[in-house]
Amino acid sequence: MHLLEVNNVTKRFGGITALKNVSLYIDSGEKIAIIGPNGSGKTTLFNVINGVYIPEDGRIIYMGRDITKLSAHERAKLGIARAFQITRPFPGLSVRENVMIGALFGTLSEKINTREALKIADEMLKLVGLYNKRDELAIKLTGPERKLLELARALAMKPKILLLDEIVAGMPPAKVDEIVDLVKNVAERENIAVGVMVEHVIRAVIRFAERVYVLDRGEIVLSGKVEDVMRNPKLREIYLGTRFKGGV
Amino acid sequence: MIKGKIIDHTSLIIMIFSYIIIWMLKTSFPEYSQMLTLLLYYIAIAQAYNIFLGMTGYVDFGYVSYFGLGLYGMALGVSYASQNNLSSSEAIILGMILSVILAGSVAGVVGGIALRLRGAFFAIATIGLSQALRYLIEGAKIWGGAEGIIIAKDLRKLFGEEGFSYATIILPDTGIFILAVATGIIMYLIRISRLGYGLLAIKEDEDAAKVFGVNTTLYKFVAFIISAVLTSLVGSMWTLKVTAIYPPESFNITFSVEFIVIVMLGGGGTVLGPLIGASIYSLSKYYLGVYLPGLQLTVFSIILLLIVLLFRQGIVGELRSFLYKHEIVRKIIR
Amino acid sequence: MDPGLIIFLFLQGLVLGSIYGIVAVGLSLIFGIARIINLSHGALIMWGAYTALTFFVGYNLSPLGSLFIAIVVGLSLGASIFYLVLRRLIGAHELTTLLATFALSIFLEEIARLNYGLDYRGFSWSLGVVKIFDYRLTYSSILAGVIALSTVIILTLFLYKTRIGSALRGVAQDPVGAYICGIDVNKIYALGIGIGFGLAMMSGVIITMYNPTGINPYLGAPYLLKSFVIVVLGGLGSIIGAYVGGIIFGLAEVVLFPLYDYLHFHSPMSMTLFTEFVILLILLLIRPYGLFRR
Ligand SMILES: Nc1ncnc2c1ncn2[C@@H]1O[C@H](COP(=O)(O)OP(=O)(O)O)[C@@H](O)[C@H]1O
Ligand SMILES: [Mg+2]
Repeated sequence: MHLLEVNNVTKRFGGITALKNVSLYIDSGEKIAIIGPNGSGKTTLFNVINGVYIPEDGRIIYMGRDITKLSAHERAKLGIARAFQITRPFPGLSVRENVMIGALFGTLSEKINTREALKIADEMLKLVGLYNKRDELAIKLTGPERKLLELARALAMKPKILLLDEIVAGMPPAKVDEIVDLVKNVAERENIAVGVMVEHVIRAVIRFAERVYVLDRGEIVLSGKVEDVMRNPKLREIYLGTRFKGGV
Repeated sequence: MIKGKIIDHTSLIIMIFSYIIIWMLKTSFPEYSQMLTLLLYYIAIAQAYNIFLGMTGYVDFGYVSYFGLGLYGMALGVSYASQNNLSSSEAIILGMILSVILAGSVAGVVGGIALRLRGAFFAIATIGLSQALRYLIEGAKIWGGAEGIIIAKDLRKLFGEEGFSYATIILPDTGIFILAVATGIIMYLIRISRLGYGLLAIKEDEDAAKVFGVNTTLYKFVAFIISAVLTSLVGSMWTLKVTAIYPPESFNITFSVEFIVIVMLGGGGTVLGPLIGASIYSLSKYYLGVYLPGLQLTVFSIILLLIVLLFRQGIVGELRSFLYKHEIVRKIIR
Repeated sequence: MDPGLIIFLFLQGLVLGSIYGIVAVGLSLIFGIARIINLSHGALIMWGAYTALTFFVGYNLSPLGSLFIAIVVGLSLGASIFYLVLRRLIGAHELTTLLATFALSIFLEEIARLNYGLDYRGFSWSLGVVKIFDYRLTYSSILAGVIALSTVIILTLFLYKTRIGSALRGVAQDPVGAYICGIDVNKIYALGIGIGFGLAMMSGVIITMYNPTGINPYLGAPYLLKSFVIVVLGGLGSIIGAYVGGIIFGLAEVVLFPLYDYLHFHSPMSMTLFTEFVILLILLLIRPYGLFRR
């Protein structure tokens, strides 16, 4: 049994079909990447998996249970955590309180009190390197720091599956390597399945993932082992066929 | 924060200390006693409203209804007790229970309906509710209709002639003091609990809060009910002081705005905000009445505009944002 | 039931509804353009009524003349208030604009109270009455309804047929987009709020044409409260929706009042108001974005 299965999911926004019959799966502790040009539906896919949107068609099975219509907060409690592409810190709360909220309402939820949540928050902040900013208001953080806060808050939920949306976008290569290693280490230590979404095909992220799905205009057009997909000429086509400027 | 001591109670200690000072002032200077009771009344309501408005950011313009239902609960309890020859303590307890039941059940219905709306729509719905209640009481002549309920006679009967000042001054004043303390402590306990963090997350970004596992519907509802019930208890004590209640005053939106202003002025979601907001508000209202009689409201409207323009997050809230770096500020302003 | 009464009630409902419509249109316009719920709308209506009274009593000017004064005063007041206060609050938490317009409302009411006192005032301006079977409707009230309707038509034409009108609609839909297209968004907000204020004051004059008595500093409050129901009925921000909502509301009111009277309720007026607010709550529950939308 897979940890998460997305079966033939379709999601429309008015006339736009953002996701067309999308199917994929992820196993426990596995690391996958979902790549695709801007507007191909990656963020929407995450939104459907974690309950921000309910799909028009198809089903989402998590740990053998149909969660297609389950509300977002219940999915969070079941262990689906998410870092937003457009970061959404709670601006008026401190960095520490932001991460505490992750711990308080994640999978540990009812099992821990605020004291323990605070400990977890501090651990996570040390992990991502934001510990010395713990008592700043989240609104004061810079763009890249906000990305790290997203990561810390998601990790504090102690999830079974972590969905990272463009977590390294706009970061310098050295920083990208650092974060990729960090996620890899935590994920392996705590057996967290990770799905990363990237627009630009960053080698490091591709190396990090065991399997990759390629999304184009709402459809999965390629999938499989990283090496196989990377060698597939179709991949170039997808990226060259769009406004994408960088190389693969 | 101090190492090893994770949760810091400085703001709670300051709050309790302030209450003690107010009470000491009240007992030592009888000439200021009524002004200080007015202050405590505003503190109690502001702390209660803070639990909902301050913590979630939802603006309830019909909030006065819960105060009004508290007024009615006590008035009904007292008149029932006097007609049925119950004892005076039974009358007060019955009144408080009725207040809680009335406010709790109306808040339950409203919360279930209106909390699904956001922003302006929520505000309009709550205005609609308070007005509907008022006109139902007047139009269907429920609870005395437009003539209201006058309980002075009933109180005389229940407490006796010599007990009348006890029933209308000492008892409600003490009750309001206890409520001010209780609402403050409850607000503090909520602020440092899971519920509090969930509510603040809702205030900051409701959709994100959901994604991080906050059951937003439930949390808003719980805060709403707790807040409404506490305010109704303040209302029930206030009935004893005024001894006569009428629908237009009991459901007057201006009072809702008064409560909102106090919470705003101090700083919503902070523990000490309501204390500061209520102090500034009630003192200036009192002295405006003394020095500029007839012009209070005009001055009030100008002050209100200035507050909105200058202190978006309230006095305590602005201080908090501005000085958040300093440990001492973080401790005091929770 | 007497068929004459039915026709009369229907006409009276249309007239009343048209007036409610124009009141709600101003409120809806301001919300549509600036996302502000103008809690001072009622106070502006009241000032419109006092304008009619003052100019009628002082200068023997008919309310028709006061209409123009009210529009000009409202327009300039709205634009000034925007630049002085509301400009700083655009996009802020709705609580702040609600409180700001509430403060303005108290201020306007207090100035009126200090100036005119609390007495109910009135004047008598008569154009005669028309008899509908056995019932009487004043010509001036019919005129009030017709002026309200014409104003809404002119406003709609202005919004849909002129360049400034389309700029107003552009800002209403997407202020950032409008800004990128080179529209001076602040000017448009000022104009939109000015028009809204002008409409509010103008409706005050129209109200005195329907009923030139009972003018007091708190005259506007019930109209504001009713407008909430109406704008939600028509869809907050929609002009035509607000007017149609007003008509429906006026018709409902002329039916509800006699009905509650017939049922021997203690206060039929209060019960009518009660029903209106219950309708508001039900609407918000089932169709928060208006009856006519999607
Ligand atoms: N809330 C929404 N409303 C309307 N259209 C949307 C919404 N969210 C996404 N879309 C559309 O769905 C498509 C996929 O968007 P998205 O999932 O954000 O792509 P990606 O994350 O791959 O860049 C785009 O055409 C986008 O415009
Ligand atoms: Mg995206």
